[in-house]
Amino acid sequence: MHNNNVDINVHHITRVEGHGNIVVNVTEGKIEKLQWQVPEAPRFFEAMVRGQSYQDIQTIVSRICGICSITHSLAATKAVESALGLKVSEQTDKLRILMHYSEQLQSHTLHVGYLAAPDFFDAPSVVPLVARAADVVKTIVKAHRIANEWSDLLAGRTTHPVTLIPGGLTRIPTEKQLRQLQQTLKDTVLDLNKIAEAVLGVAANIPKFERPTEYVSLKQTNPPTYTFYHGGITSNDNKGVVLPIEKWHDVTNEYIVEQSTAKWAKWHRDAYAVGALARFNNNAELLSPMAQNAAKTFGLQKGCCNPYMNTVAQLVECFHIVETSIAMIDGLLTKGLKDEKVTSAPKAGRGAGCVEAPRGILFHEYEFDKKGNCVAADICIPTNQNHANIQKDFEKLLPEILDESENQIRLKLEMLVRAYDPCISCSTHFLDVKFVR
Amino acid sequence: MTSQSPRKDVVVIGLGNVLLSDEGIGVHIIRRLSTRQDKFPLVDFIDAGSAGMALLHLIANRKKAVIIDCAQMGAEPGTIRRFAADEVQSVKKLSHYSLHEADILQVINLSKQLGECPRKIVFFGIEPESLEPGQNLSKTLNDKIDDYIIHIHKELV
Repeated sequence: MHNNNVDINVHHITRVEGHGNIVVNVTEGKIEKLQWQVPEAPRFFEAMVRGQSYQDIQTIVSRICGICSITHSLAATKAVESALGLKVSEQTDKLRILMHYSEQLQSHTLHVGYLAAPDFFDAPSVVPLVARAADVVKTIVKAHRIANEWSDLLAGRTTHPVTLIPGGLTRIPTEKQLRQLQQTLKDTVLDLNKIAEAVLGVAANIPKFERPTEYVSLKQTNPPTYTFYHGGITSNDNKGVVLPIEKWHDVTNEYIVEQSTAKWAKWHRDAYAVGALARFNNNAELLSPMAQNAAKTFGLQKGCCNPYMNTVAQLVECFHIVETSIAMIDGLLTKGLKDEKVTSAPKAGRGAGCVEAPRGILFHEYEFDKKGNCVAADICIPTNQNHANIQKDFEKLLPEILDESENQIRLKLEMLVRAYDPCISCSTHFLDVKFVR
Repeated sequence: MTSQSPRKDVVVIGLGNVLLSDEGIGVHIIRRLSTRQDKFPLVDFIDAGSAGMALLHLIANRKKAVIIDCAQMGAEPGTIRRFAADEVQSVKKLSHYSLHEADILQVINLSKQLGECPRKIVFFGIEPESLEPGQNLSKTLNDKIDDYIIHIHKELV
């Protein structure tokens, strides 16, 4: 039996400022309004880097986001290096990828463990989950902590990296530290298995919903790699063609909609998705053996179009990240680490940089004058590229679940948004308090 | 595991986003305090920026944590207040859609549940005047930064 009337306005209910809002209005069984509304502050970050030296861009943009700070810094550094024609050594390249992996693991464990797991375990948040599933939460916290310490080692601190500069790195780990990291990562496999086992135990609570869409991600063909860092842009609609990242505007085609102050994006269809599921759908056959095995355990197959499975794809990627990093460290140690002198000089130019953020493909582009000062900046974050897709998911999902209770409908819509792991309103103050004594 | 130096018993953490004027006051203060590291050999000074859940790990198993952040407390802009976690109640509304929001008091609660919370946690909340985009503090807060440092020094001696 269909619900005749549904009235959901999460924004109204929680008075959450500056965050996404779900609005559903069903009258007499007819959907009157169904919107994913996203208020977003103007992109002041782009204005903030104008006039700044090419040497400082990666430091400034690292403050855009507390979860993806390494990712933003890497995208910016690559863009600056492209603009100035700087090449980096193989050692720098590998250490940066290792640094990038650390943030992917940080973010994925945080999302799987702290944001999505409470849904699967039917808990309001991770705090009460400790009492009910202490071992699982402790294992998640341990994995997250290891990822944070891994970032400390490569990026100089957990968040907002300080070792990245155009042309190289200001500091590299010692071989002993890399060996320790490698051993820790080998030990972490056991923890990932425990987390996967726990999630598998509640996987029945992952909603069954499918909507075919376009999945956009990086793709690296030479050598073929499940990439987060190198390669060009592709999608399942692009007939195997990989675009150079300089063509990113041809992919995002950003446009303005009335219901959101954040720009939306579309390529071959009226919406596309980015993130772990997109990467998986475009590159699954290139995953490491342990990741392939994890995907198989969860029944995650290439072509999956259940957006709720993005969380599982993230978990699968955790295995890939750890297994691949262990092998990369072997390669670095075999060659031996060298102190490398980094030099760069200002030059006029324009360059784009692209990496996969944990939540999807991220583009940065900058133009510099001959003194090396930034004259133009353009950044497109993954979450904005997912907004249209979330709306389209809503439009297919709601009619399918109208016979459920209003609370169930709200929960499934909220879970859907969470599955995309969005970056909606970063960087707001953490303390908002009243004194009780 | 791979940390470059041993973890100290006391940690002072500055939070906030330095791209949003007074929002970054915690980080601005940490930058100043870090220049005096030699006077506080037993203290870690950490610029944690907008790393919400990372706080859980930064305070874990320490004896004391001092957390400095911009705080909306309903006070005059520039006001600094020292308080403990149990003196306040969070009125922060979380959407629970995104990892990009955090409530420090919830992080501390989780730390307690995990049995790794420092015995003593002290907050220094500073009421902002401006949260507009910009890398500089408002004049009100900038003029008081030496006072803030004095307050925090007292906490460390």
